[in-house]
Amino acid sequence: MSQVRDPAFDRVVALVLRVGAFGCFFIMLAGLLIGLFVHGQIPGDIERAGVLLMLATPVVRVAVAAVLFLREKDWKYSAISLGVLAILLLGAVFGIGEH
Amino acid sequence: MLSALLVLLGFFAGVLGALTGIGGGVLLTPILALHFGIPIRQAIGTSLVAVITTSAASSSVHLQRHTTDIRLGMTLELATSLGAAVTAYLVGYFNRNVLEGLFAGFLLYSSLTILLRRGKVKDEEPPPAGNNGEMVIPPYEPQRYPLGLGASLVAGGLSGLLGIGGGPIKVPVMFIFMDVPLMVATATSNFMIGVHCRGQRYCLLPRRGDILVEIAAPLAVGVFVGSLLGARLAPRIQTRYVVYLLVAIMLYLAVHLAVHLLTGGAAS
Repeated sequence: MSQVRDPAFDRVVALVLRVGAFGCFFIMLAGLLIGLFVHGQIPGDIERAGVLLMLATPVVRVAVAAVLFLREKDWKYSAISLGVLAILLLGAVFGIGEH
Repeated sequence: MLSALLVLLGFFAGVLGALTGIGGGVLLTPILALHFGIPIRQAIGTSLVAVITTSAASSSVHLQRHTTDIRLGMTLELATSLGAAVTAYLVGYFNRNVLEGLFAGFLLYSSLTILLRRGKVKDEEPPPAGNNGEMVIPPYEPQRYPLGLGASLVAGGLSGLLGIGGGPIKVPVMFIFMDVPLMVATATSNFMIGVHCRGQRYCLLPRRGDILVEIAAPLAVGVFVGSLLGARLAPRIQTRYVVYLLVAIMLYLAVHLAVHLLTGGAAS
């Protein structure tokens, strides 16, 4: 079963990744260019937004895949996707304490 | 100017990475640590951003060619994200020397897998695009899930610790032990990059400091452009010499890291 692929499924996930990657690229580029002319807080904040978008993209990808699996009534892989999402969120929350 | 230099560095890492199929992180982290005087932990977090940007972009291309096995990837991600969660939690207990030593070891291991894969499975390389993006994938059924999950746990753990994609571990395991075609193994491994709790934790605490934004931004921009160009060039370039160049750089970085480690890291 694993090799059966739904083209529409691939396309939606690809779109999520593309929006994230290109969005991040253009935001960071904007930050760099603005940094050439403006000094201070602003360029860094723009770049930080780019970093945040990039780090959020894989999580959104997992969430979108979970929704798509649910819509296909593919319970096994819905559960797996939600499991990955849970590990990510728990790991992020419990990781805060250290450093 | 530092930013321009970083864009250039990212660009070369991106081109090399796209030509040889290795993530840029394995090059960027040691270069940042050794030549830019950035502490290894920050170097790891910073190059992670560039790695995720590139893997997201190239993964979207693989997805549109339908060479990614999302179900397999998601299953193995259970293990990689768990491994990454554990080591991201423990990373505070690893000191710099351990991280540098592990990284040097990983560089050696990666160059070995590149050389071996080069020798063995050259004909499995995907055909260059041009036939409408349609790729014929032979039917397969992933085998030996426990082994794949175990390896993914290790790969995820190393990813969380060293900020690398872990392709040199996941690809051979999927290809050799799980009977997944190389093309699918590569695309799926690439797809799996990015779910590191280490990175995601930064979303919750943006100012906490493992990612140096002013370094990450120019690097990511350079890597992004470089890897797009590299992917275009790949079908037209004799990659054998590029691979030797890459292995030479990796070995140099491994030795340099080891020396840095043994001499107590006078540079940083």
